[in-house]
Amino acid sequence: MSRKGNRGIGLKAYGFFVYFFLYFPLLIVLLFSFSPTKTIVGISGFTLKWYQELLRDGNLLTAFVNTLLIGAGAVAIAVVLGMAGAFFVSRVRFPGKSVFRTLVLLPYILPGILMGISLLVVIKALNIPLSPLTVLLGHVSFTVPVVMFQIMSRIARMGPNYQAAAMDLGATPVQTFWYVTLPMIRTALIGAALLAFTVSFDEIVISYFLTGTWMTLPVYIYGMMRYGLSPKVYAISAIILCLSLALIMLMTRYTGRSADVYRVRPRHE
Amino acid sequence: MREQHSPPRAFLRGIPITVWMLCLVAVPLGYTFLISFFQVEGMQIAAKVTLKNYGLFFTDSMYSGILLKSILLALAIAVLSILAGYPLAYMLSFRVRRGKQALFMLSIIPLWVSYLVRIIAWRTILGNKGVINSALTALGLIQEPLSFLLYNRFAVAVTLTYICIPFVFIPVYTALEKIPRNIMEASSDLGAGEFRTFFNVVLPLSLPGLVTGFIFAFIIALGDYIIPQQLGGTQGMMFGNLIWSQFGFAFNWPFGAALSFILLAISVTILGLTSRFGSTEGGFLSE
Repeated sequence: MSRKGNRGIGLKAYGFFVYFFLYFPLLIVLLFSFSPTKTIVGISGFTLKWYQELLRDGNLLTAFVNTLLIGAGAVAIAVVLGMAGAFFVSRVRFPGKSVFRTLVLLPYILPGILMGISLLVVIKALNIPLSPLTVLLGHVSFTVPVVMFQIMSRIARMGPNYQAAAMDLGATPVQTFWYVTLPMIRTALIGAALLAFTVSFDEIVISYFLTGTWMTLPVYIYGMMRYGLSPKVYAISAIILCLSLALIMLMTRYTGRSADVYRVRPRHE
Repeated sequence: MREQHSPPRAFLRGIPITVWMLCLVAVPLGYTFLISFFQVEGMQIAAKVTLKNYGLFFTDSMYSGILLKSILLALAIAVLSILAGYPLAYMLSFRVRRGKQALFMLSIIPLWVSYLVRIIAWRTILGNKGVINSALTALGLIQEPLSFLLYNRFAVAVTLTYICIPFVFIPVYTALEKIPRNIMEASSDLGAGEFRTFFNVVLPLSLPGLVTGFIFAFIIALGDYIIPQQLGGTQGMMFGNLIWSQFGFAFNWPFGAALSFILLAISVTILGLTSRFGSTEGGFLSE
Protein backbone atom coordinates (compact mmCIF):
# COMPACT_ATOMS: atom_id res chain seq x y z
CA MET A 1 0.00 0.00 0.00
CA SER A 2 1.27 3.44 -0.82
CA ARG A 3 1.52 5.78 2.11
CA LYS A 4 1.31 9.52 1.91
CA GLY A 5 2.11 11.84 4.75
CA ASN A 6 -1.23 13.30 5.69
CA ARG A 7 -3.49 10.60 4.34
CA GLY A 8 -6.33 9.71 6.66
CA ILE A 9 -5.68 12.60 9.00
CA GLY A 10 -9.39 13.37 9.11
CA LEU A 11 -10.16 9.77 9.93
CA LYS A 12 -7.63 9.78 12.75
CA ALA A 13 -9.02 12.99 14.17
CA TYR A 14 -12.48 11.43 14.08
CA GLY A 15 -11.14 8.27 15.71
CA PHE A 16 -9.62 10.20 18.56
CA PHE A 17 -12.88 12.05 19.01
CA VAL A 18 -14.61 8.68 19.43
CA TYR A 19 -11.99 7.62 21.99
CA PHE A 20 -12.59 10.87 23.82
CA PHE A 21 -16.33 10.15 23.80
CA LEU A 22 -15.64 6.66 25.18
CA TYR A 23 -13.31 7.67 27.99
CA PHE A 24 -14.35 11.16 29.05
CA PRO A 25 -17.38 9.90 31.05
CA LEU A 26 -15.20 7.41 32.93
CA LEU A 27 -12.72 10.15 33.83
CA ILE A 28 -15.59 12.27 35.11
CA VAL A 29 -16.61 9.52 37.52
CA LEU A 30 -13.04 9.20 38.81
CA LEU A 31 -12.73 12.96 39.17
CA PHE A 32 -16.00 13.32 41.07
CA SER A 33 -15.07 10.56 43.48
CA PHE A 34 -12.14 12.63 44.73
CA SER A 35 -13.87 16.00 44.64
CA PRO A 36 -14.99 17.76 47.83
CA THR A 37 -17.70 19.61 45.88
CA LYS A 38 -20.39 18.30 43.58
CA THR A 39 -19.75 20.57 40.59
CA ILE A 40 -17.16 20.32 37.90
CA VAL A 41 -16.43 24.02 37.61
CA GLY A 42 -14.13 25.31 40.25
CA ILE A 43 -13.34 21.79 41.28
CA SER A 44 -10.74 22.31 43.92
CA GLY A 45 -8.96 20.16 46.34
CA PHE A 46 -8.82 16.49 46.75
CA THR A 47 -10.55 14.35 49.30
CA LEU A 48 -10.80 10.74 50.26
CA LYS A 49 -13.74 11.29 52.58
CA TRP A 50 -16.28 9.64 50.23
CA TYR A 51 -14.17 6.52 50.24
CA GLN A 52 -14.03 6.63 54.03
CA GLU A 53 -17.81 6.94 54.07
CA LEU A 54 -18.08 3.80 51.98
CA LEU A 55 -16.23 1.87 54.65
CA ARG A 56 -18.79 3.00 57.22
CA ASP A 57 -21.73 1.84 55.08
CA GLY A 58 -22.26 -1.68 56.38
CA ASN A 59 -25.04 -2.53 53.90
CA LEU A 60 -22.87 -1.53 51.00
CA LEU A 61 -19.99 -3.66 52.19
CA THR A 62 -22.35 -6.60 52.63
CA ALA A 63 -23.68 -6.08 49.10
CA PHE A 64 -20.09 -6.00 47.83
CA VAL A 65 -19.28 -9.32 49.50
CA ASN A 66 -22.57 -10.75 48.19
CA THR A 67 -21.58 -9.80 44.64
CA LEU A 68 -18.24 -11.55 44.99
CA LEU A 69 -19.95 -14.67 46.35
CA ILE A 70 -22.51 -14.76 43.53
CA GLY A 71 -19.75 -14.20 40.98
CA ALA A 72 -17.61 -17.00 42.39
CA GLY A 73 -20.55 -19.39 42.60
CA ALA A 74 -21.86 -18.59 39.13
CA VAL A 75 -18.39 -18.90 37.59
CA ALA A 76 -17.71 -22.24 39.27
CA ILE A 77 -20.97 -23.67 37.93
CA ALA A 78 -20.59 -22.03 34.52
CA VAL A 79 -17.07 -23.41 34.05
CA VAL A 80 -18.20 -26.99 34.63
CA LEU A 81 -21.39 -26.68 32.53
CA GLY A 82 -19.72 -24.55 29.86
CA MET A 83 -16.76 -26.87 29.44
CA ALA A 84 -18.91 -29.99 29.19
CA GLY A 85 -21.22 -28.17 26.80
CA ALA A 86 -18.35 -26.91 24.66
CA PHE A 87 -16.95 -30.41 24.14
CA PHE A 88 -20.40 -31.76 23.50
CA VAL A 89 -21.24 -29.23 20.80
CA SER A 90 -17.75 -29.25 19.29
CA ARG A 91 -17.17 -32.99 19.18
CA VAL A 92 -20.50 -34.76 19.02
CA ARG A 93 -22.46 -34.93 15.80
CA PHE A 94 -26.19 -34.61 16.17
CA PRO A 95 -29.05 -33.19 14.15
CA GLY A 96 -30.25 -29.70 15.02
CA LYS A 97 -26.87 -28.65 16.35
CA SER A 98 -27.11 -25.08 15.10
CA VAL A 99 -30.48 -24.66 16.81
CA PHE A 100 -28.94 -26.07 19.99
CA ARG A 101 -26.06 -23.56 19.76
CA THR A 102 -28.48 -20.69 19.32
CA LEU A 103 -30.58 -21.80 22.28
CA VAL A 104 -27.48 -21.87 24.48
CA LEU A 105 -26.61 -18.39 23.34
CA LEU A 106 -30.07 -16.93 24.05
CA PRO A 107 -29.45 -15.83 27.66
CA TYR A 108 -26.47 -13.86 26.42
CA ILE A 109 -27.96 -12.22 23.35
CA LEU A 110 -31.59 -11.71 24.33
CA PRO A 111 -32.47 -8.48 26.11
CA GLY A 112 -31.80 -9.06 29.80
CA ILE A 113 -35.35 -8.06 30.70
CA LEU A 114 -36.67 -11.16 28.91
CA MET A 115 -34.44 -13.54 30.85
CA GLY A 116 -35.11 -11.72 34.11
CA ILE A 117 -38.87 -11.80 33.68
CA SER A 118 -39.14 -15.38 32.47
CA LEU A 119 -36.99 -16.65 35.34
CA LEU A 120 -39.04 -14.59 37.80
CA VAL A 121 -42.31 -15.97 36.44
CA VAL A 122 -41.16 -19.58 36.85
CA ILE A 123 -39.67 -18.95 40.28
CA LYS A 124 -42.93 -17.43 41.47
CA ALA A 125 -44.97 -20.26 39.95
CA LEU A 126 -42.87 -22.75 41.91
CA ASN A 127 -43.38 -20.68 45.08
CA ILE A 128 -39.65 -20.26 45.56
CA PRO A 129 -38.93 -17.13 47.62
CA LEU A 130 -36.46 -14.61 46.19
CA SER A 131 -33.11 -15.36 47.78
CA PRO A 132 -29.40 -15.60 47.02
CA LEU A 133 -30.23 -18.84 45.23
CA THR A 134 -32.56 -17.16 42.72
CA VAL A 135 -29.92 -14.50 42.00
CA LEU A 136 -27.37 -17.28 41.50
CA LEU A 137 -29.69 -19.03 39.02
CA GLY A 138 -29.99 -15.81 37.05
CA HIS A 139 -26.22 -15.41 36.93
CA VAL A 140 -25.70 -19.02 35.90
CA SER A 141 -28.07 -18.42 32.97
CA PHE A 142 -25.87 -15.83 31.26
CA THR A 143 -22.40 -16.93 32.39
CA VAL A 144 -22.73 -20.40 30.83
CA PRO A 145 -22.81 -19.13 27.22
CA VAL A 146 -19.92 -16.78 28.01
CA VAL A 147 -17.71 -19.67 29.14
CA MET A 148 -18.98 -22.17 26.61
CA PHE A 149 -18.37 -20.09 23.51
CA GLN A 150 -14.89 -19.02 24.61
CA ILE A 151 -13.90 -22.66 25.09
CA MET A 152 -15.57 -23.70 21.83
CA SER A 153 -13.44 -21.26 19.91
CA ARG A 154 -10.29 -22.67 21.55
CA ILE A 155 -11.37 -26.23 20.73
CA ALA A 156 -11.98 -25.20 17.12
CA ARG A 157 -8.43 -23.85 16.85
CA MET A 158 -6.96 -26.91 18.56
CA GLY A 159 -8.36 -29.54 16.19
CA PRO A 160 -9.11 -33.18 17.13
CA ASN A 161 -5.71 -34.68 16.26
CA TYR A 162 -4.02 -34.32 19.64
CA GLN A 163 -6.68 -36.28 21.42
CA ALA A 164 -6.72 -38.90 18.69
CA ALA A 165 -2.94 -39.25 19.01
CA ALA A 166 -3.13 -39.63 22.77
CA MET A 167 -5.82 -42.30 22.47
CA ASP A 168 -3.83 -44.12 19.76
CA LEU A 169 -0.86 -44.20 22.12
CA GLY A 170 -3.00 -45.95 24.70
CA ALA A 171 -4.18 -43.16 26.97
CA THR A 172 -7.56 -43.63 28.60
CA PRO A 173 -10.18 -40.92 28.05
CA VAL A 174 -9.49 -39.60 31.55
CA GLN A 175 -5.73 -39.51 30.94
CA THR A 176 -6.26 -37.86 27.58
CA PHE A 177 -8.38 -35.17 29.15
CA TRP A 178 -6.04 -34.58 32.08
CA TYR A 179 -2.67 -34.67 30.29
CA VAL A 180 -3.56 -33.46 26.79
CA THR A 181 -6.84 -31.58 26.54
CA LEU A 182 -6.87 -29.71 29.82
CA PRO A 183 -3.37 -28.17 29.45
CA MET A 184 -4.34 -27.05 25.93
CA ILE A 185 -7.52 -25.28 27.02
CA ARG A 186 -6.20 -24.11 30.40
CA THR A 187 -5.64 -20.47 29.42
CA ALA A 188 -8.99 -20.31 27.62
CA LEU A 189 -10.62 -21.66 30.75
CA ILE A 190 -9.00 -19.04 32.98
CA GLY A 191 -9.85 -16.28 30.51
CA ALA A 192 -13.44 -17.44 30.21
CA ALA A 193 -13.81 -17.63 33.99
CA LEU A 194 -12.45 -14.09 34.38
CA LEU A 195 -14.76 -12.78 31.66
CA ALA A 196 -17.76 -14.52 33.22
CA PHE A 197 -16.85 -13.06 36.59
CA THR A 198 -16.54 -9.56 35.10
CA VAL A 199 -19.95 -9.87 33.48
CA SER A 200 -21.50 -11.24 36.67
CA PHE A 201 -19.84 -8.61 38.85
CA ASP A 202 -21.75 -5.74 37.33
CA GLU A 203 -24.94 -7.40 36.10
CA ILE A 204 -28.11 -5.57 37.08
CA VAL A 205 -30.79 -6.08 34.42
CA ILE A 206 -31.51 -9.73 35.27
CA SER A 207 -30.52 -9.52 38.97
CA TYR A 208 -33.01 -6.72 39.49
CA PHE A 209 -35.94 -9.10 38.96
CA LEU A 210 -34.52 -11.93 41.04
CA THR A 211 -33.34 -9.98 44.08
CA GLY A 212 -35.24 -9.89 47.32
CA THR A 213 -33.73 -8.27 50.36
CA TRP A 214 -30.40 -9.99 49.79
CA MET A 215 -28.77 -7.60 47.33
CA THR A 216 -25.80 -7.59 45.04
CA LEU A 217 -23.76 -4.40 44.75
CA PRO A 218 -25.24 -3.11 41.45
CA VAL A 219 -28.78 -3.57 42.76
CA TYR A 220 -27.83 -1.76 45.97
CA ILE A 221 -26.25 1.13 44.06
CA TYR A 222 -29.29 1.29 41.82
CA GLY A 223 -31.36 1.79 44.95
CA MET A 224 -29.02 4.54 46.13
CA MET A 225 -29.41 6.31 42.77
CA ARG A 226 -33.10 6.86 43.41
CA TYR A 227 -32.15 9.64 45.80
CA GLY A 228 -29.84 11.38 43.36
CA LEU A 229 -26.17 10.83 42.82
CA SER A 230 -24.39 11.20 46.11
CA PRO A 231 -20.60 11.52 46.22
CA LYS A 232 -20.58 8.08 47.76
CA VAL A 233 -22.03 6.70 44.52
CA TYR A 234 -19.04 8.16 42.67
CA ALA A 235 -16.60 6.61 45.11
CA ILE A 236 -18.06 3.12 44.79
CA SER A 237 -18.32 3.61 40.99
CA ALA A 238 -14.64 4.48 40.84
CA ILE A 239 -13.78 1.33 42.77
CA ILE A 240 -15.95 -0.80 40.46
CA LEU A 241 -14.33 0.86 37.45
CA CYS A 242 -10.83 0.03 38.64
CA LEU A 243 -11.78 -3.52 39.54
CA SER A 244 -13.37 -4.13 36.11
CA LEU A 245 -10.31 -2.69 34.39
CA ALA A 246 -8.02 -4.98 36.39
CA LEU A 247 -10.19 -8.01 35.55
CA ILE A 248 -10.28 -7.13 31.85
CA MET A 249 -6.52 -6.68 31.71
CA LEU A 250 -6.01 -10.01 33.44
CA MET A 251 -8.50 -11.68 31.12
CA THR A 252 -6.85 -10.48 27.92
CA ARG A 253 -3.58 -11.97 29.10
CA TYR A 254 -5.13 -15.42 29.04
CA THR A 255 -7.25 -15.31 25.93
CA GLY A 256 -5.90 -14.72 22.47
CA ARG A 257 -7.61 -11.36 22.28
CA SER A 258 -5.22 -9.13 20.43
CA ALA A 259 -5.35 -6.72 17.55
CA ASP A 260 -3.86 -9.23 15.10
CA VAL A 261 -5.69 -12.36 16.08
CA TYR A 262 -8.40 -12.00 13.44
CA ARG A 263 -6.10 -11.42 10.50
CA VAL A 264 -6.12 -14.07 7.86
CA ARG A 265 -2.53 -14.95 7.04
CA PRO A 266 -1.33 -16.03 3.60
CA ARG A 267 -1.04 -19.79 3.51
CA HIS A 268 2.58 -19.93 2.36
CA GLU A 269 4.61 -17.48 4.30
CA MET B 1 -14.77 -40.03 7.48
CA ARG B 2 -13.89 -41.81 10.67
CA GLU B 3 -16.82 -40.70 12.75
CA GLN B 4 -20.04 -40.34 10.82
CA HIS B 5 -22.32 -40.92 13.76
CA SER B 6 -21.33 -40.25 17.31
CA PRO B 7 -21.72 -43.30 19.53
CA PRO B 8 -24.63 -43.07 21.98
CA ARG B 9 -22.17 -42.85 24.88
CA ALA B 10 -20.93 -39.49 23.54
CA PHE B 11 -24.31 -37.99 24.27
CA LEU B 12 -23.77 -38.40 28.01
CA ARG B 13 -21.55 -35.34 27.77
CA GLY B 14 -24.52 -33.36 26.58
CA ILE B 15 -26.62 -34.03 29.67
CA PRO B 16 -25.41 -31.17 31.92
CA ILE B 17 -25.78 -28.47 29.28
CA THR B 18 -29.15 -29.82 28.18
CA VAL B 19 -30.45 -29.81 31.75
CA TRP B 20 -29.19 -26.25 32.16
CA MET B 21 -30.86 -25.22 28.93
CA LEU B 22 -34.18 -26.79 29.83
CA CYS B 23 -34.26 -25.35 33.36
CA LEU B 24 -32.96 -21.86 32.71
CA VAL B 25 -33.87 -21.14 29.08
CA ALA B 26 -36.53 -23.37 27.53
CA VAL B 27 -38.89 -23.81 30.50
CA PRO B 28 -38.82 -20.15 31.65
CA LEU B 29 -39.37 -18.81 28.12
CA GLY B 30 -42.01 -21.45 27.43
CA TYR B 31 -43.83 -20.76 30.67
CA THR B 32 -43.76 -17.02 30.04
CA PHE B 33 -45.31 -17.71 26.65
CA LEU B 34 -47.98 -19.80 28.35
CA ILE B 35 -49.01 -17.20 30.90
CA SER B 36 -49.20 -14.57 28.18
CA PHE B 37 -52.51 -16.30 27.38
CA PHE B 38 -53.72 -16.15 30.99
CA GLN B 39 -55.48 -13.30 32.76
CA VAL B 40 -55.51 -11.52 36.08
CA GLU B 41 -58.48 -11.96 38.38
CA GLY B 42 -58.29 -9.91 41.53
CA MET B 43 -54.65 -10.20 42.49
CA GLN B 44 -54.25 -13.70 41.13
CA ILE B 45 -53.21 -15.05 37.78
CA ALA B 46 -56.02 -17.24 36.52
CA ALA B 47 -55.27 -20.05 34.09
CA LYS B 48 -58.09 -19.17 31.71
CA VAL B 49 -56.88 -19.11 28.17
CA THR B 50 -57.53 -15.84 26.42
CA LEU B 51 -56.11 -13.78 23.59
CA LYS B 52 -57.06 -10.48 25.14
CA ASN B 53 -53.49 -9.60 26.21
CA TYR B 54 -52.36 -9.63 22.62
CA GLY B 55 -55.64 -8.04 21.59
CA LEU B 56 -55.06 -5.16 24.00
CA PHE B 57 -51.61 -4.54 22.54
CA PHE B 58 -52.79 -4.49 18.95
CA THR B 59 -55.94 -2.45 19.54
CA ASP B 60 -54.72 0.18 22.01
CA SER B 61 -52.52 2.48 20.01
CA MET B 62 -50.77 3.71 23.14
CA TYR B 63 -48.94 0.38 23.48
CA SER B 64 -48.12 -0.15 19.83
CA GLY B 65 -47.15 3.53 19.69
CA ILE B 66 -44.53 3.01 22.38
CA LEU B 67 -43.19 -0.01 20.52
CA LEU B 68 -42.96 1.94 17.28
CA LYS B 69 -41.23 4.83 19.01
CA SER B 70 -38.80 2.42 20.63
CA ILE B 71 -38.03 0.72 17.33
CA LEU B 72 -37.30 4.07 15.69
CA LEU B 73 -35.09 5.17 18.58
CA ALA B 74 -33.27 1.82 18.56
CA LEU B 75 -32.70 2.16 14.81
CA ALA B 76 -31.27 5.65 15.31
CA ILE B 77 -29.02 4.35 18.08
CA ALA B 78 -27.81 1.48 15.89
CA VAL B 79 -27.00 3.93 13.07
CA LEU B 80 -25.18 6.28 15.45
CA SER B 81 -23.20 3.38 16.89
CA ILE B 82 -22.11 2.40 13.40
CA LEU B 83 -21.17 5.99 12.56
CA ALA B 84 -18.89 5.94 15.60
CA GLY B 85 -17.75 2.32 15.58
CA TYR B 86 -17.15 1.64 11.89
CA PRO B 87 -14.64 4.46 11.25
CA LEU B 88 -12.86 3.48 14.45
CA ALA B 89 -12.53 -0.13 13.28
CA TYR B 90 -11.48 1.03 9.80
CA MET B 91 -8.85 3.33 11.21
CA LEU B 92 -7.43 0.62 13.43
CA SER B 93 -7.42 -2.01 10.72
CA PHE B 94 -5.97 0.03 7.87
CA ARG B 95 -4.34 3.17 9.16
CA VAL B 96 -2.63 2.35 12.42
CA ARG B 97 0.63 0.47 12.77
CA ARG B 98 2.25 1.76 15.92
CA GLY B 99 0.26 1.37 19.11
CA LYS B 100 -2.32 -0.80 17.36
CA GLN B 101 -2.60 -3.24 20.25
CA ALA B 102 -3.10 -0.44 22.79
CA LEU B 103 -5.80 1.22 20.67
CA PHE B 104 -7.47 -2.14 20.14
CA MET B 105 -7.64 -2.62 23.89
CA LEU B 106 -8.99 0.91 24.34
CA SER B 107 -11.74 0.06 21.86
CA ILE B 108 -12.89 -3.16 23.47
CA ILE B 109 -12.48 -2.30 27.17
CA PRO B 110 -15.73 -0.27 27.29
CA LEU B 111 -17.59 -3.46 26.40
CA TRP B 112 -16.99 -4.85 29.88
CA VAL B 113 -16.75 -1.72 31.99
CA SER B 114 -19.64 -1.55 34.39
CA TYR B 115 -22.95 -0.71 32.76
CA LEU B 116 -24.24 1.08 35.87
CA VAL B 117 -21.09 3.20 36.21
CA ARG B 118 -21.52 4.39 32.65
CA ILE B 119 -25.13 5.38 33.35
CA ILE B 120 -23.96 7.30 36.42
CA ALA B 121 -21.34 9.02 34.28
CA TRP B 122 -23.86 10.23 31.70
CA ARG B 123 -26.31 11.44 34.30
CA THR B 124 -23.45 13.45 35.74
CA ILE B 125 -22.51 14.91 32.38
CA LEU B 126 -26.00 15.73 31.11
CA GLY B 127 -27.73 16.77 34.34
CA ASN B 128 -29.10 20.22 35.15
CA LYS B 129 -26.14 20.90 37.38
CA GLY B 130 -24.06 18.51 35.32
CA VAL B 131 -20.71 18.85 33.63
CA ILE B 132 -21.95 20.39 30.38
CA ASN B 133 -24.36 22.84 31.96
CA SER B 134 -22.02 24.07 34.65
CA ALA B 135 -19.17 24.44 32.17
CA LEU B 136 -21.34 26.47 29.78
CA THR B 137 -22.68 28.61 32.63
CA ALA B 138 -19.19 29.29 33.92
CA LEU B 139 -18.10 30.34 30.44
CA GLY B 140 -21.03 32.74 30.37
CA LEU B 141 -22.52 31.10 27.29
CA ILE B 142 -25.83 30.32 28.95
CA GLN B 143 -27.74 31.78 31.87
CA GLU B 144 -30.18 28.97 32.56
CA PRO B 145 -29.13 25.31 32.40
CA LEU B 146 -30.01 23.60 29.13
CA SER B 147 -32.93 21.37 29.96
CA PHE B 148 -32.94 19.38 26.73
CA LEU B 149 -29.88 17.40 27.81
CA LEU B 150 -31.42 15.08 30.37
CA TYR B 151 -34.70 13.21 30.89
CA ASN B 152 -35.63 12.81 27.26
CA ARG B 153 -34.95 10.72 24.17
CA PHE B 154 -31.72 12.58 23.47
CA ALA B 155 -30.13 11.43 26.73
CA VAL B 156 -31.29 7.85 26.12
CA ALA B 157 -29.85 7.91 22.59
CA VAL B 158 -26.48 9.29 23.70
CA THR B 159 -26.07 6.81 26.55
CA LEU B 160 -27.23 3.77 24.59
CA THR B 161 -25.00 4.72 21.66
CA TYR B 162 -22.16 4.93 24.13
CA ILE B 163 -22.99 1.42 25.38
CA CYS B 164 -23.36 0.01 21.85
CA ILE B 165 -20.19 1.33 20.17
CA PRO B 166 -17.96 -1.60 21.23
CA PHE B 167 -20.68 -4.02 20.11
CA VAL B 168 -20.31 -2.58 16.62
CA PHE B 169 -16.56 -2.18 16.74
CA ILE B 170 -15.70 -5.84 17.42
CA PRO B 171 -17.60 -7.53 14.57
CA VAL B 172 -16.67 -4.79 12.09
CA TYR B 173 -13.01 -4.94 13.06
CA THR B 174 -13.06 -8.74 12.79
CA ALA B 175 -14.56 -8.50 9.29
CA LEU B 176 -12.09 -5.82 8.15
CA GLU B 177 -9.11 -7.82 9.39
CA LYS B 178 -10.26 -10.78 7.32
CA ILE B 179 -10.08 -8.84 4.06
CA PRO B 180 -6.96 -10.03 2.24
CA ARG B 181 -4.74 -7.00 1.76
CA ASN B 182 -3.74 -8.02 -1.77
CA ILE B 183 -7.33 -7.53 -2.94
CA MET B 184 -7.04 -3.88 -1.98
CA GLU B 185 -3.69 -3.61 -3.72
CA ALA B 186 -5.28 -5.11 -6.82
CA SER B 187 -8.06 -2.55 -6.64
CA SER B 188 -5.62 0.32 -6.39
CA ASP B 189 -3.37 -1.16 -9.14
CA LEU B 190 -6.39 -1.20 -11.41
CA GLY B 191 -6.77 2.51 -10.87
CA ALA B 192 -9.44 2.75 -8.19
CA GLY B 193 -9.05 5.61 -5.79
CA GLU B 194 -9.35 5.32 -2.05
CA PHE B 195 -13.08 6.03 -1.99
CA ARG B 196 -13.83 3.70 -4.85
CA THR B 197 -11.83 0.91 -3.21
CA PHE B 198 -13.74 1.52 -0.01
CA PHE B 199 -17.20 1.44 -1.56
CA ASN B 200 -16.57 -1.34 -4.07
CA VAL B 201 -14.25 -3.61 -2.11
CA VAL B 202 -13.99 -2.91 1.61
CA LEU B 203 -17.59 -2.07 2.42
CA PRO B 204 -19.15 -5.10 0.68
CA LEU B 205 -16.60 -7.44 2.28
CA SER B 206 -17.19 -6.00 5.73
CA LEU B 207 -20.95 -6.22 5.41
CA PRO B 208 -21.31 -9.35 7.60
CA GLY B 209 -19.58 -7.56 10.47
CA LEU B 210 -21.58 -4.42 9.87
CA VAL B 211 -24.87 -6.32 9.93
CA THR B 212 -23.90 -8.21 13.10
CA GLY B 213 -22.93 -4.97 14.84
CA PHE B 214 -26.09 -3.24 13.71
CA ILE B 215 -28.29 -6.07 15.01
CA PHE B 216 -26.54 -6.20 18.36
CA ALA B 217 -26.86 -2.45 18.83
CA PHE B 218 -30.52 -2.57 17.78
CA ILE B 219 -31.47 -5.41 20.12
CA ILE B 220 -29.59 -3.94 23.08
CA ALA B 221 -31.24 -0.57 22.55
CA LEU B 222 -34.71 -1.99 22.01
CA GLY B 223 -34.67 -4.17 25.12
CA ASP B 224 -33.09 -1.80 27.60
CA TYR B 225 -35.18 -0.45 30.46
CA ILE B 226 -32.63 0.85 32.95
CA ILE B 227 -31.22 3.64 30.82
CA PRO B 228 -34.65 5.02 29.85
CA GLN B 229 -35.64 4.83 33.51
CA GLN B 230 -32.53 6.67 34.65
CA LEU B 231 -32.14 9.22 31.86
CA GLY B 232 -35.28 9.15 29.76
CA GLY B 233 -37.90 10.93 31.83
CA THR B 234 -41.45 10.51 30.58
CA GLN B 235 -40.60 11.33 26.97
CA GLY B 236 -37.83 8.76 26.80
CA MET B 237 -39.95 5.85 27.99
CA MET B 238 -39.29 2.75 25.95
CA PHE B 239 -40.85 -0.65 25.34
CA GLY B 240 -38.67 -2.22 28.05
CA ASN B 241 -40.14 0.18 30.63
CA LEU B 242 -43.63 -0.76 29.54
CA ILE B 243 -42.85 -4.44 30.12
CA TRP B 244 -41.14 -3.62 33.41
CA SER B 245 -44.11 -1.64 34.69
CA GLN B 246 -46.42 -4.64 34.20
CA PHE B 247 -44.28 -6.54 36.69
CA GLY B 248 -44.08 -3.57 39.03
CA PHE B 249 -46.95 -1.33 40.02
CA ALA B 250 -49.33 -2.30 37.20
CA PHE B 251 -49.13 -5.91 38.37
CA ASN B 252 -50.41 -7.45 35.19
CA TRP B 253 -48.00 -10.29 34.62
CA PRO B 254 -49.93 -11.95 31.78
CA PHE B 255 -49.98 -8.69 29.82
CA GLY B 256 -46.29 -8.17 30.66
CA ALA B 257 -45.59 -11.69 29.44
CA ALA B 258 -47.41 -10.97 26.19
CA LEU B 259 -45.36 -7.78 25.70
CA SER B 260 -42.19 -9.77 26.50
CA PHE B 261 -43.14 -12.24 23.83
CA ILE B 262 -43.61 -9.52 21.27
CA LEU B 263 -40.08 -8.29 22.10
CA LEU B 264 -38.77 -11.85 21.94
CA ALA B 265 -40.40 -12.44 18.57
CA ILE B 266 -38.84 -9.27 17.16
CA SER B 267 -35.39 -10.13 18.54
CA VAL B 268 -35.43 -13.74 17.38
CA THR B 269 -36.73 -12.83 13.92
CA ILE B 270 -33.96 -10.31 13.41
CA LEU B 271 -31.32 -12.68 14.76
CA GLY B 272 -32.62 -15.42 12.49
CA LEU B 273 -32.57 -13.18 9.43
CA THR B 274 -29.01 -12.13 10.10
CA SER B 275 -27.53 -15.44 11.16
CA ARG B 276 -26.99 -16.14 7.48
CA PHE B 277 -24.86 -13.00 7.22
CA GLY B 278 -22.70 -12.97 10.27
CA SER B 279 -22.08 -14.96 13.40
CA THR B 280 -24.69 -14.97 16.13
CA GLU B 281 -22.18 -14.46 18.90
CA GLY B 282 -20.72 -11.52 17.00
CA GLY B 283 -17.18 -12.41 17.95
CA PHE B 284 -17.63 -11.17 21.52
CA LEU B 285 -17.36 -14.62 22.97
CA SER B 286 -14.77 -16.07 20.63
CA GLU B 287 -11.16 -15.58 21.48
